[in-house]
Amino acid sequence: MRKCIYNQCMFFRLDSFALIGIDAIKVSVEVHISRGLPEFIIVGLPGKAVSESRQRVRSAVINSGFDFPVKKIIVNLSPADIKKDGSFYDLPIALSILAASGQIGCGMFKESCFVGELSLDGNINTVKGLISMAEQAQSMGKKFFFVPYEIANQASLISGLKIVACKSLSESVEALAGGEKMEKFICKNKNKSISNKNNLYNFDFKDVKGQLKAKRALEIAVSGRHNIMLIGPPGSGKTMLAQRAVTVMPDLNLEECIEVTKIYSLYEKFVNCLIQKRPFRNPHHTISRVGLIGGGISPRPGEISLAHKGLLFLDEFSQFPKNFIEDLRQPLESREVIITRNHMSYSFPCNFMLIVATNPCYCGYFGDESKKCICSLREVRKFWKKISGPVIDRIDMRVTVARLSESSFIKNECSEGSNQIKNRIRKCINMQNLRFQGKSVSYNSEIGINIISEWLKNDKSIRELICTISRKYNLTARGTVSILKVSRTIADLEESNDIEERHIIEAVHYRVGSNNLDSSICI
Amino acid sequence: MKNNNGKKILYILVERKVKPSKFIEIYRINHGDINKTLDYFLKCENLKLEYRINGKKDNHTGDGKNYYQRVIDFILKNKVGFIDISEDSYPDILRQIYLPPPLLFFKGNKIKEAKFSVAIVGSRRCTAYGREVTGYISRNLSEIGITVVSGLAVGIDSCAHKAALEGKGGSIGVMGCGIDIVYPPENRFLYEDILSNGSIITEFLPETPPLKSNFPIRNRIISGLCRGVVVIEAGEKSGAAITCEMALKQNREVFAVPGNIFNPMSKGCHKLIKEGAKLVESVDDILEEFSQCYKGILKLCVGSDVNNRKPKERHNTKLCGNELKVYEFIGYKAKSVEEIVRNLRIEVKEVLSILTSLEIKQLIKEDSFNKYSRLF
Repeated sequence: MRKCIYNQCMFFRLDSFALIGIDAIKVSVEVHISRGLPEFIIVGLPGKAVSESRQRVRSAVINSGFDFPVKKIIVNLSPADIKKDGSFYDLPIALSILAASGQIGCGMFKESCFVGELSLDGNINTVKGLISMAEQAQSMGKKFFFVPYEIANQASLISGLKIVACKSLSESVEALAGGEKMEKFICKNKNKSISNKNNLYNFDFKDVKGQLKAKRALEIAVSGRHNIMLIGPPGSGKTMLAQRAVTVMPDLNLEECIEVTKIYSLYEKFVNCLIQKRPFRNPHHTISRVGLIGGGISPRPGEISLAHKGLLFLDEFSQFPKNFIEDLRQPLESREVIITRNHMSYSFPCNFMLIVATNPCYCGYFGDESKKCICSLREVRKFWKKISGPVIDRIDMRVTVARLSESSFIKNECSEGSNQIKNRIRKCINMQNLRFQGKSVSYNSEIGINIISEWLKNDKSIRELICTISRKYNLTARGTVSILKVSRTIADLEESNDIEERHIIEAVHYRVGSNNLDSSICI
Repeated sequence: MKNNNGKKILYILVERKVKPSKFIEIYRINHGDINKTLDYFLKCENLKLEYRINGKKDNHTGDGKNYYQRVIDFILKNKVGFIDISEDSYPDILRQIYLPPPLLFFKGNKIKEAKFSVAIVGSRRCTAYGREVTGYISRNLSEIGITVVSGLAVGIDSCAHKAALEGKGGSIGVMGCGIDIVYPPENRFLYEDILSNGSIITEFLPETPPLKSNFPIRNRIISGLCRGVVVIEAGEKSGAAITCEMALKQNREVFAVPGNIFNPMSKGCHKLIKEGAKLVESVDDILEEFSQCYKGILKLCVGSDVNNRKPKERHNTKLCGNELKVYEFIGYKAKSVEEIVRNLRIEVKEVLSILTSLEIKQLIKEDSFNKYSRLF
C-alpha cells in the first residue's frame, strides 16, 4: 500500500531566481504532484503576482497543447522564508509541472535556469531584472538561461552563459530537447563588445553660446566628479548646461554598462540591450521621497540609483522639500543607499554626480543686470534659508549663470564641442586613476583632508594663500577643503603634478564666485 | 538701581502714562530743573493723558505683575542701564535737540564714553559698491577715534557697525524697538558683537515692538547723537532721507557719497549733493568740515591735529602681465567674463583666476552675476 502511494508521488525541481534589491539570488522551484483532490497551491511566501501565476500557468499549459495534471499540485519556492514577488516564476512553474507529470524529458534541467512570464496562450512575456539574474546564473555555473525573447539582448553580454531566447512555452519545451534544436534558440549576440558610437546624445556643448564660466566650471566638475550648483535667473540656460554635462562624461565601460542596466532593468521591463548612455535623471520637484531615494513595499531603486554612474539634476532645487534634500546626505557620502523593509536590507548603488540649479530668489532676478529683483532682502534670505544646509555644504562648486545679452546671442562664434571637452576630461580622469590606484577613492571629490594636507606639506606659500583666502571670505573648514579638492582637479586638467597658486585662486572663484549673492545673504 | 531720577521718570512714563514729549515740555518750562519736573508730575494726580503703552491698554500679565514691575525686573536681570536727561553722562549734543528722549536704555558703555561721533546711514538694499564704501569710511573713522552711529538695520547699517568695531572709535546702534527685542533677527550676532566695543541704545520702553512709526522717531536720535551724517546709497524716499532732514533741523553736517548715476540707489545721495550736502570721497573730506568748527573736541578725541594727518595709501599692490591687462580692461562700467575673454583673448580659466585674485586684492567687485567693475 505504502509503496503504491510513493509511486504516485511525482517530484521535480528546477532553478530560478528572486530579486533582492538589484541582485538576484537562486530560488529553487519545487513541484510535488500527488493524489488527492485536484488542487494547485504555491507556498514559500508568494506575493500577489506569484499566487496569480496559478491561473496563467494552467491556461498556458493547456493552450500550448499539454495536459494539466488533475491532481494535487504543490509548488514550493525555496528558500521559503524570503518574500517573492514578480511574474517571472510562470515559466519555471509551468516547466516543472510538465516535467513532474512526465510530459517532457528532464535531461537539460540540471544545467539550466528559467525566468519568464506566461500569457494565457503560452507566449512568454518580458520580465524585470533579467541581467542581474543572468549574472547570478553565470556565477552559479549554469550553462543555459531561458529568457523571454524580446529582452534577450539585455543578458547576452554576460560571458560564459548561453542565453536561450524563447517566444513561447512550447518553444522552450522544444529547446529543452537539446542538441541542434536548442542551438536554434540560442541568442547569437552580434556585437560582443559595446559599440563605440560617438553621438550617443542629442545634445552638444556647441549649442551653448557664451556662458564660458559655467562651461569651464562644468568641465572641472565632471572631471573631478564634484557636485555643482548653478545659480541664475530664469532663462539663463541652467537646464541647458546641465543636460549637456552628461555628454562630456567619459563613456561607460562594460562593467559599468552592466551595472546601469541592472538598475534600469528593475525599473522597466523593456530593456532590450545594454544601456551605454550615461544616465541623466531630471526628476520634477513634486517627486515623492520613495521616488527619489528608493523604497516601497518591495524596494525599488529611486531616482538617485537610476542616476548611478551618471548625473542627477535637481532643477528648481529650492522647491524640493527640505527633508528630501536631507535624505541625500548619506547617499552622497557612501555612494549607495540601504533601504530596510520587510526585515531585509536592500542596497542600491547610487554613485552619481549631483547638479542642482536654482534661481537666486523668489522672483528669480536677484543679481541680474537688466531686470530688477522685486524681492525684499528678507525674502531673499528666506529663500536661501530654505535650501542652505548640510547638503549645500557638500556641493563643492557654486556657479552663477547670467542671462546672455542679446548681442552675444546672435553672434555666430564657434564654441567648443562636447568631444573636445570630453577628451580633456578623459585625460584628467586617467590622471586621477593613476594617482588613486589601489586606494578606496577614485575621484578628487572623494579625497579626505589627510591626503590633501600631505600634498601641501612642502609648500608654504600656498598654505599662506589658503589662510588669506579663508579669512577674506570667511570660509568654513569644509569650504576650504572643497576649494583644495577643486584646485586639485584644475591642476589635473593641466596635467600638473603640484597644486599651484593660480589653481587655488580659480577654485576660489567657484566657491565664492557668487560673492554678490553671498554677502547680501550673510550680512 | 542707583539712578533715582531715572527710576522716577520711568515711573512717570509708565504708570502715569505721560508722553515723553509732554515730559520734555515741562522739563523745558522748568529750565532743566529735574526735581521740579518730577514733582510736577508726581503731585499732579489728575493728569488726563491717554498714552497707551505699546498700543495696549491693559498691561497686566498672568503673574499679576504690572508693566512697571516687569520693566524694573527686566532691567535688573539683564544688566540694562538707563540714563536720564538730567545726568552728566547723558550726551550733551543729544540734549540740545528739539525733543530729546527723557530716558535712554542702553547696553554697553560706549554711549557714555563717545566724545565725537558721526552717523552713517543708507539703504537696507545696498550694492557691493555701497558695502565697500561703507566699510572703508566707517573703518577709517573708527581708526582715528570717531564713534560711528547707525541704525542696526541690515545693509549699510550692518556694514558700518561691523567695520567700526574694528577701530578704537567703536560704534553705537540706535534701535527702533524695546531693548529686549532683536530686530531684525538676522542681526542677532551683530547685537552681541557690538557690545565688545560699542553700545546699543533706545528710547523705547522694553517690550515695544518694532513698529513702522518708531523708525523715524529713532532717526532723530541717530542724527542727534552726531556732529554729522554720512549718507551712503539712499533711495529718493528712504529712512536715510528722513535722517538727513532731521540732521538739518538739528543743525548737523550732512555728507553724501556719490555713486553710479544709473543706480537708483544713488539717487538720494545725488539729490542731497545737489541741495548742498558735502560730497565725500574719503574720511578727510569729513574731517575737513569738522576741523574748522569743532577743532577742540576733535583734537581731544583724535589725539592729534586732523589737518596734519596723512591720508593712507589704499592699495600699493603692483599688477603685472595679464592681471594688469584685465584690470585695465575692466572699467567702471561692468564687463562680463565673456567680454573680457573675447576682447583680450585670454583663456577662460586664466580670466577667472585673475578676477578672483583682483577681488581678493579688493580692486574689483562683482556687480551683477558674472559682471565685474573696478572699485578704484
